Order: sequence, then structure tokens, then C-alpha cells
Amino acid sequence: MIGRLFFGVVTAVLLMSGPVAAEPAAKPYRIYMALWRGWEDAAQGFKDYFTNQNIPVELIIRDAGQDRSKLPEFVAEAKQLGVDLVFTWGTTVTVDMLGTYDTVDPAKHITDIPAVFAIVSQPVGAKVVPNLASSGRNIAGTSYLVPMDTQINLLQSYRSVRKLGMVYNPLEKNSLVAADELRDLGKRDGYDLVVAPVEVVDGKPVVESIASKVRDLKAAGVDFLYIPPDTFLNINRDVLTSAALAEKIPSFAAAENPVLSSKAMLGGVYRYYTVGQLTAYKAEQILVHKIAPADLPVDPPKRLSIIINMPVVRALEVYPPMSLLSLAEVVDSGVEVRP
Amino acid sequence: MRLDSSRSLLLRLLMLAVLVLVPPMAIASLRALDRFEEGLSPEMDRKAAAIGRDLLAQVDRAVSYGIPIDKLVGVDEFFTTLLNGNPEIRYLGLTTASGDILFLSGALSDQLAGQYRALHLTEADMTGRKTDIGAFVDLALPVRGRDGLVGQVHVGFDRGYIAAQLFGIFYDIAVVLGTSLIIAFEILLFVVVFNISGPMKLVAEVVHQARRGDFTRVPGITSADEVGHFVRAFNGAVRQVDNAYRGLMAYIDEVRTGHFDRNVAEKVGEVADRVRFLFRFNPSGAPQVLREKLSSDVRLPLFLFVFAEEISRSFLPLYAQALPAQVAGLSPELMTALPIAVFMAGIALGSLWAGAVTERLGSRKVFQFGLFPAVLGCVMSGLSHGVIELSLWRGIAGLGYALVTVACQSYISKTTSDSNRATGLGGYVGAVLTAAICGTAAGGVLADRIGYAPSFFVSTALILVSGWLLSQLLSMAEIPQSVVMAEERHGTHLLRIFSNWRFSILVLFAAIPAKMALTGYFFFLVPLSLWDSGHSLPEIARVMVLYPVVMLAVSSLSTRLADQMGWRIGQVALGGLVGGAGILAALAFDGTLPLVIGIVGLGISHGMSASPQLASIPDICWIECQRHGRTQVLALLRTLERVGSFVGPLLAAVFLQMWGGRGAIIGLGAVVLVMAMVFAMVAGAYGNGPHLETEEDAP
Repeated sequence: MIGRLFFGVVTAVLLMSGPVAAEPAAKPYRIYMALWRGWEDAAQGFKDYFTNQNIPVELIIRDAGQDRSKLPEFVAEAKQLGVDLVFTWGTTVTVDMLGTYDTVDPAKHITDIPAVFAIVSQPVGAKVVPNLASSGRNIAGTSYLVPMDTQINLLQSYRSVRKLGMVYNPLEKNSLVAADELRDLGKRDGYDLVVAPVEVVDGKPVVESIASKVRDLKAAGVDFLYIPPDTFLNINRDVLTSAALAEKIPSFAAAENPVLSSKAMLGGVYRYYTVGQLTAYKAEQILVHKIAPADLPVDPPKRLSIIINMPVVRALEVYPPMSLLSLAEVVDSGVEVRP
Repeated sequence: MRLDSSRSLLLRLLMLAVLVLVPPMAIASLRALDRFEEGLSPEMDRKAAAIGRDLLAQVDRAVSYGIPIDKLVGVDEFFTTLLNGNPEIRYLGLTTASGDILFLSGALSDQLAGQYRALHLTEADMTGRKTDIGAFVDLALPVRGRDGLVGQVHVGFDRGYIAAQLFGIFYDIAVVLGTSLIIAFEILLFVVVFNISGPMKLVAEVVHQARRGDFTRVPGITSADEVGHFVRAFNGAVRQVDNAYRGLMAYIDEVRTGHFDRNVAEKVGEVADRVRFLFRFNPSGAPQVLREKLSSDVRLPLFLFVFAEEISRSFLPLYAQALPAQVAGLSPELMTALPIAVFMAGIALGSLWAGAVTERLGSRKVFQFGLFPAVLGCVMSGLSHGVIELSLWRGIAGLGYALVTVACQSYISKTTSDSNRATGLGGYVGAVLTAAICGTAAGGVLADRIGYAPSFFVSTALILVSGWLLSQLLSMAEIPQSVVMAEERHGTHLLRIFSNWRFSILVLFAAIPAKMALTGYFFFLVPLSLWDSGHSLPEIARVMVLYPVVMLAVSSLSTRLADQMGWRIGQVALGGLVGGAGILAALAFDGTLPLVIGIVGLGISHGMSASPQLASIPDICWIECQRHGRTQVLALLRTLERVGSFVGPLLAAVFLQMWGGRGAIIGLGAVVLVMAMVFAMVAGAYGNGPHLETEEDAP
């Protein structure tokens, strides 16, 4: 049964042996890590925290590979192994394994074992916690989205915007919420929001429509493009950011991928790695300092990462102010991009 | 400053004090300044280099990312932040490789452009190149791009900055030195007058009487020092003469009653008569012990008290501004003016009351009574949490101020006779003005070093010392209660003085505007304006101290002038015009200059008109002075002019709210000048000499 549950994450065995071998004397804490799309920066930050703090842990790593049907098996395995703590990555894993606060079921969800979650974009909206001050139950976690007014202040400090454009997937609720917030902030900061939802055919967003939506925004006189933390756009980030570059529209991304691994110009994000470290800190509070998870607030990291994608900046010739540049992390592959 | 007959001795002692105190302090200060300058110059170089490197690193980074140096964004804001954080740096600049200015903050391009083009900086100048450009020292550092030199970073500092810093420190040292010298002098004056020259004067008086055969009195000095020994020996001699006299008289009586020879009795009687004619002895059987209080005894405590009160002069409105305004109803400007206005109201009320109370209780009691509100008001001013609270404590402090100063004045007038009263009151004014100079100057330095609230605690300590000294002095011998003035006071009768147009015009258009200018302009608007234009507290005090200095210089001159020329009303009129016009210098100039002109003008104005104004009262109100007593009329004038003291800051605050700082100064100056002009126009009709017409035939 246990063998069946190993989902081909090769690194798992290596990771498990590391900390345990290093601290043979102390009994390691056993942490069950349920991941959604493989080992990435948040998981790495989580693991590195324990190594850096010299806290012995045994990590049991499972990857659902974006397959929701595997999650009930994870719940059963974690309970059977009797681990000390469960780590869940992403909204889907968290909701399916820990339940929402109003529908939690001890048969289907993990309740007795304390849990920490990370990379849940709307912890309150997804009903993981009733409010950010306390989960009210045996779980704690971190948030990772930068508050909208912080994002807009950053965007405005780069270059004053009069007309902000946004392409989004109308099927994703997150993006609709983001559009409302942007519109409200526009009243405060004096810009207009122009939205362009991608086309939906047969209940699915159409990738091919992205470029034309960007062209529409350009025609509407948009001087900055806002890229929401939208899963569909994250997957198709190259299409979106290339289109923005082609139209010579500078773009701001609320998530790190479009800036780090695509052609968005500017990003204001909490790095996944930092979020992972903060989540590990919460785990330490629970395991080592015996603090009840409900007493830990759900909060984001203190440090905002400003990421500037220099090849895009050079291609657009929209240069960052000196004061912003001195605070920013610069992505500069040296490879020139062309609009 | 009149120092009676001991003047030459005191001057010599003062010179000695200056000789002993100044050279070591000056040498120590100069050495400290030298070290400071030595340390500061390389420190400036290092600072410029550090800022240059920091700036260069940022520019290098931007350039290394492929941003063209002439396309950098937000450079001015970036420079401004750096300049604000480093006041010693005068300007920051960025040029192309050939020296053409791209960005420059803190200086004008014209001043530098030519020099920059001629610089020919190369990549080899790794640590930068230092050049002198006019008043600036310029450090240039090369910006290296992907293809060699792309620009230059320039950091400039002011050569005058070190000099300005040194001047500030030098001034602070000078203030401390000057203040301690004056305090030393005051203490010296006190010690000499109290222990030596005062007793000697008394002995001299007795000796003088003895020379004329008057042995009725001996000086009552009981100190244990040489002066005391001398006086006791002297008194022993007088008593011996007294005893000899009484022995002789007893013997003569015995001879006269016991001798039957009529001739002998007559002869003896003649001798007795002759002795009685030539010498006088106390009929009570022993010489009367003479204790004379000197008006100068209160000088040191008074000096310390006023010094303490003047410490907050330069910063009170700033302190009020810094405190939270508790009440929403008043504008912030009015809130800032409130502590000064309430303090003035406290003085007005206090002196009204103190005048009457001193007559009944005597100086000592009133003084002791006044010490409580003075100390309480001062210490609580330092502990205040809001403007209303501060105003309340300032009001109480004002009450104490009035009680203490009135007690001192009454002490002086009681210890002086008509002949030397002017000298006594001159000493009073001298002590108050010297204390104002020291207090204002020292207060600015003090508040800058230790903060507003602790400065009030220093004031409190000084008041306590002054109180201790005075209570020691006054308790030694209570002045024999003067005969209570029998004159009845008819308040309504005194108020009829207003139908004397000369008096009313003098109060309304000379006395009140003078006080309005003092409290509204000098106490309130000047510190605020100087602070807003970025001056430090010692700098504010440096400017404000001009007022008492000028006033002290002008008043001694003008008193003599007034006595010689008898041109009192003219002086009052001219003084008013000078004061108003001085304030209005704000119309013609910008910056600190009009304030300096205004303050000097005000010093001249008040120095010129204050004593002639009081001195003209006996002439102007001849009838009223005869009827109610001069003291009463003068007290009324002082009370009425305090209406101006109270209104001044409030009016200035209203103007400030409506027209801003410069507008308020011009507005207040205009009010003062117009009133002075009205007075000047009417002044011609005053005429000379006493005015004997009664209120009935006044126009």
C-alpha cells in the first residue's frame, strides 16, 4: 500500500535521508509534504529553513502532479504514518486535504495532525481560514499575494499610469476580484482600468485570443498592462507577455513567473522561496515551541521582491527610476529580446 | 547700570574677573576649535568620497544594465533624498563623459558647467579628482560603462560649511562664556555690595555724622568677617565716646547738685551746654543701631529670576507648535499663540493684584507667595502634554512673575529715598535687561542641546536658587512697615483719567502698540518665522538677543537725551514710528534680513520711548498725579498697556492664519505703524510742561 503511494519524486529519498543522517542523536520531526506540481521554490525554502536552523526533520514528499484524485490517498497515508505535521502546497491540495473551516470532516480530512499551508492565494476566500488572524483550528499558514495597493504603488513609482489595461480569464474568480480592486484604486490614484477578458469557447478560455485582446488594449490607449495571478495566464505567460512587448506596452505581473521566466517587465511579489521559509517558521513554532496553530496568524513575508526584467526594459526603453532600481532584483539574462 | 560710589572698585573687579576667566576659557575654546577644524576637514573629504562612491555604484549599476546615462529616470529625486540626508553636501551632479551637465541638484548649472567641461576626467581617476570651484569643493568620479568612460559623478560641498559650523560652535561657546561672565559679575557685585561696599557706606555715613558731633547711631553690621570686626571696633569706639559722654553728664549733674558754689555750678552748666551744643547723643541712653537695606541687594536674585523666565523666550511658540493641540475649535496658529497670550494675561492680572497686596503684606510675603506659582508654572510647563495645559501653566507662571517683580520693585522703592530712587530703579531695569540678554541667548543654546522640556527644568532650578537667595536676604531684617498710604482710592475717580485726552491717546496709540509689537511680533512671529526658514535654535536666539542688547544701549543714551532736551513725547512718537517701520522691512526684503531690521528697530523703539513714556506721565497727568498719587497713575498705565501684550500674539496668530508668515508680519507692522503715526500727528498738540487743566476743560 505504501509503495503504491510513492509518486515518482526521485528527490524524495535523497531529501529524507539528509537531515536525518546529519542529526542522528535527536529524533527528527516527521513532516508530510503534499505538493501540487512538483518540487519548486516554496518547497525548497521550506526545507532549507530547517537545515539552516539545525532542526532535524524527516520529510515525506508526495507530488499530486496536478491530479486531484490522488489527494484522498495522501490524507489516508499521512494519518497512517502518524506524522508530526502536514505541509500542503496550493489552494487545491489545502482545501482537499484540510477541508474548509465550515465543511471539515475528520473522515475525509486531516484534523488531529497539525498542518501548515502555503501558496493559497485567497486563504479567506477559499474558506481555509475564517480570517487571517487565526485559523480557529489545527492549521496555520502563510499568504503569498502582495496587497493590491502595494502592487499599484510600486507600479506607479515606476511610471505614472493614466490607463491601466488587464487581460484575464473570466472563468477565474481571482481575476474578477483583482479587477474590482484595481478599479477602486484607480479612483484613488486617478487612472482608468480597461479590461479585456479572453474569449471562452465551450467553457474553456481560448489561448489564441490573448494577443488580439492585448492589441485591443493598445488601441484603447493603455499605457501599462497588469497581469493578474491567473492560472490560465500563468500557463500562457509567454503568449501574453510577448504580445505586450510586441505592442510596446510595459507589463506588471502580480506573480513571479511572468517576470522571472517570461517577458513581463516588472513584478512586485513575495518570492516562493521566502514564502516557503516563512511557512517552515510557522511549522517550527508548532513543532518546537509547541504553539497552537490557531494562535499563529496567516501572514505574508515582510520583504517584498521588486523584480525588473532588464532585457524587456531595454527593448521598451522605459527605464526604472534610480531609487526603485536600487531596491530591485534585476533579471538580466544578457539575451536581448525584441518587440 | 549705575553702581553708586563703588563703581570704580567694581569696574576694577570686573576687569580682574574678565582677565582671570576669559584667557583660559578662550585658549581652551580656541584649542578645541582647532582640533575640531583639523578633524572636520578630512572628515568632509571622507564623507564626500563615501557619498560619491555610493552614488557612483548606483549609477554604474544602472549603466551596466544598459540604461543610457542621459536616459536615467528619477535622478533628481534620488539626489534630493541624498542631499536631505547629508546636510553638509551642497550639491550632486551627473555629467556626460565630456562634462556636459545631465543632472544637477543643489547648485546652478552656470556656476559649474564651464569647470566641468574643462575637467577632462579619465577612467584612470579611480579615486576621483578634487577641485576647487569658487566656494565649493568638487569631487568628480568617473562612470565606466560597457565601452569606457560614459559620464562623471560630482559631489560638492561648501567650503563655508565648516566655517558656518565653526561659527555656530564659536557662538555657543561665546554665549556660555558671556553668560557666565555676566553671572560672575552679578555675583561679584552682590558680594561686594552686600559684604563690603554696603556696610562701608553705612560706616561712612556714621563717621560723617560723628565728624559733625552726632554720635546717636552706630552701624548695625554683625558679620563675622573683617568688615564685621572693623565695624565692631568702630562701634566700640563710638560706645566708648557715648559712655564717656554719659559719665561726664552724670559727673556734671553730681557737681551741679552737690556743689554749693553757684559760680562753679554755672560754669559746669555752661560746659554741659557747650558739650550738648557741639555733640549729639542718643537720648534713649545708648546709640541707636542703624540697619540700612540697600536696593541693590535684590539685584542678583532678580537677575536670576528674570534669566530663568527668559530662557524660553526664543522657543516658546516652537514648543507650543510641537505639542499636540488638544482642542479642535481653535486654529493651530491661535493655539501656538495661546501660551504667550495667557502668560501676558497672567502678568497683567498678577500685577494688578500684587500692587494692592504688597502694600498690605510687604515685599517679603508677596515675594514668597509669588514663588509658588512661578516654580509650579515653570516645572509644569516642561511636563505639559498639550497646548491648553501649557497655556494654563504659562498663565500661572505669569502670575508668579508679576508677584515677584512687583515685590522687587516695591522693595527697591522702599529702600531708596527720593534722591536715589532713580538709581535704584535704573539698577532694576539694568538687571532685567542683562538677564534678558543672557536668558535669550543661553536659552537657545540650551534648548538645542537638551530639548525644550528640560530647559524649563533648568529655569525652575534657577528660580529656586533666586527664591532661596531672596528669602535669605529679606528675612534678615524686615523693612519697617512703611506708613500705609492714607490716601483713599476711588476707583471711579481714577478712571476719569480717561477724559484726559493726552493720557488716553498715549495709552491707545503709543503704549498698547509698543506691547503688541513686542509680544505679537518679537515673542511670537519672529521665532516661528526663523524656525520656518530653517534656522536652528541657537541661531534664533542669536537674532533675538539683538533686542535687549540694542534696547540696553539705546535706553541709557535716550534717558540722558530726554533729560537734557525735555523732548519726551517726541521721543515716544519717534520710537513708535521706528518700531513700526522696522517691522515693515519685510515689505522690502526677503529672508532673515527684515527680521533683523525689525528686531533692531524694535530695540531702538523701545529703548527710545520706554522711560520717556513713563517720565512724561507726571506732566501729562499733573492733576491726576496730585489727586491719586503718581504710583497709582503709573500702575494704571502699565495695566492698560498689558492689554496690548495679551492682544498682540492673538492678533498675530489671526493674521498668520489669513496671510501666512510674511503677511502676518506685514499686517502687524502696518497696525503698529498706523497707530504710531496717529500718535505722532497728535504729539505736536501735547505741548511742554505740566498740564494743569482739569478734566472739565479738556477738549
